[in-house]
Amino acid sequence: MTGRPSRRQLFGYAGAAAAGAAITGGVVAGDFAALGKDNGNGNGSGNGPAVLAADIDSYGDHQPAVAAPSPKHAELVALNLLGGTDKAALGRLMRLWTADIVALGAGRPAPGDTAPELAVPGVALTVTVGLGPRIFILPGLTSFKPGGLDDLPVMSHDRLDPAWSGGDLLLLVGADDAVSVVHAVRRLVADAAPFAKPAWRQTGFWNGTGPDGTPVTGRNLFGQVDGSGNPAPGTPDFDTTVWSADGPAWFRGGTTLVVRRIRMNLDTWDELTRSEQERAVGRKLSNGAPLTGATERDELDLEKRDADGRLVIAENAHARLSHHSENDGRRIFRKGLNYVQDTGATRESGLIFLSYQADVAGQFLPLLARLDAADALNEWTTTIGSAVFAIPPGFREGGWVARELLE
Amino acid sequence: MVAVALPLLVSSCGSEEKAPVTQAAASTPGVIVEDAWVRSTAGAKDTTMTAAFMSLTNPGDTDIKLTSATSPAAGLVQLHEMAMKDGKMVMQEKAGGINVPAGSHAHLAPSGDHVMLMELKQSLKPGDELPLTLKFSDGSTHDLTLPVKAFTEEEEHYHPTPTPTPASSTTPTPAS
Repeated sequence: MTGRPSRRQLFGYAGAAAAGAAITGGVVAGDFAALGKDNGNGNGSGNGPAVLAADIDSYGDHQPAVAAPSPKHAELVALNLLGGTDKAALGRLMRLWTADIVALGAGRPAPGDTAPELAVPGVALTVTVGLGPRIFILPGLTSFKPGGLDDLPVMSHDRLDPAWSGGDLLLLVGADDAVSVVHAVRRLVADAAPFAKPAWRQTGFWNGTGPDGTPVTGRNLFGQVDGSGNPAPGTPDFDTTVWSADGPAWFRGGTTLVVRRIRMNLDTWDELTRSEQERAVGRKLSNGAPLTGATERDELDLEKRDADGRLVIAENAHARLSHHSENDGRRIFRKGLNYVQDTGATRESGLIFLSYQADVAGQFLPLLARLDAADALNEWTTTIGSAVFAIPPGFREGGWVARELLE
Repeated sequence: MVAVALPLLVSSCGSEEKAPVTQAAASTPGVIVEDAWVRSTAGAKDTTMTAAFMSLTNPGDTDIKLTSATSPAAGLVQLHEMAMKDGKMVMQEKAGGINVPAGSHAHLAPSGDHVMLMELKQSLKPGDELPLTLKFSDGSTHDLTLPVKAFTEEEEHYHPTPTPTPASSTTPTPAS
């Protein structure tokens, strides 16, 4: 944050109807304060009761949604550049999007909003912008590509559909309210029309809030607690896992995002017994604890054997194969969004798997290859979409997304 | 809109920003300009004129006026308001400029006060950018770069015609 208080901190947005009122809604104690977390620019705990659900500050060293809890509702849109969009045009788009992101994130209509009443505060709306590998083919950008930022090789279990794969740009919009997500996406895509057009869209949902209102890891549609092994935001482990510290200077504080659309066969999964389901992952369905432990955060005991001498966490259990101790210490920060795709009466269910890491090739790819070769879950999961994006660092007041790359 | 108590506003700031709001006001920080944009001339009958919009916030304790605006892209820039004349809404130059009341906002928005750009040197397409300089009564100036956006405005506001344009002119930008 800059030292100067922003308009948003002094005032809420007085909409046209409420113009004249000095102080109105839209200004709240930080979301992270309310959740007992710290996003790096809040003061950790609010001075008073939280007001509304809370907005997340658009400004900071990093794009804020990466380390934030998963939103209840989210949409990803991949866009491909139009023919005439060069480096300078991309800069105009990023300035345009930044102004939209700042306004919408504060609960104000985007500039030129055609449905301004749909912009509301208190929904924790975030927008994350990503740049696909092909951006770095543009003249003037070829020497600025983050190392290892390439489309992933096709895995043996992949059944990739081009309709869910690739993309030059990514918008990941999240909020605790689906209307707000749809509205923000509509504005951002409309404003991008002179520069880029959508290639695919994926909508997902996640419940990261426990019955008592505290943050929880959340569950995928198999019923598994999903994401227990993550490094915790705010820890050195998280920082070294996620934020780029070397490579091109513009990318310091950025990260990479892998998007995998994973179809889940719930019909055959449901035919398993509960213990078979737990063995496939190596964790208990009840609370996500390792089969060798009692609580979700207990460390896995990968050596433990049962009375018959069998490994309690099986050789091919997902939790074992993806554990950093089995991967030369390589870690990722993974999030998920459940999805359903309905065609008439037919429903497909799955997970939009999101993995953040400083280096795709160095951290994610070896893990993916290992899981592809042996993961027990492969019997019930099929990856049908895959895309990779560089997530530029955050921006400050007066700055804009990827300015250090494009200016 | 939900009104919130003043002390809470400060709690969302970083630790170095705990100065009370009143202190910020005393230092007369000037007008804060946000959410500025300019309407594309694409599809307009007269592509030599358009309007710019924005939100102005005055955190100080004295009213400040937006007194003038200039742009290298326009031969003439005026501050306009919409007013009822003979039962009809018309656009006219706003005498004395646009006031931004102390501790409050002025919203420049379609069908309301706006910065009128005339004698444009070229048409403005969505995706273009337009430089605009604002001058305020406290002596401050703001150099802005405005995005050009598509927006379907009530056409007759800017281009009065004897017969109103067909209903199609009020169709919003296609949803995406």
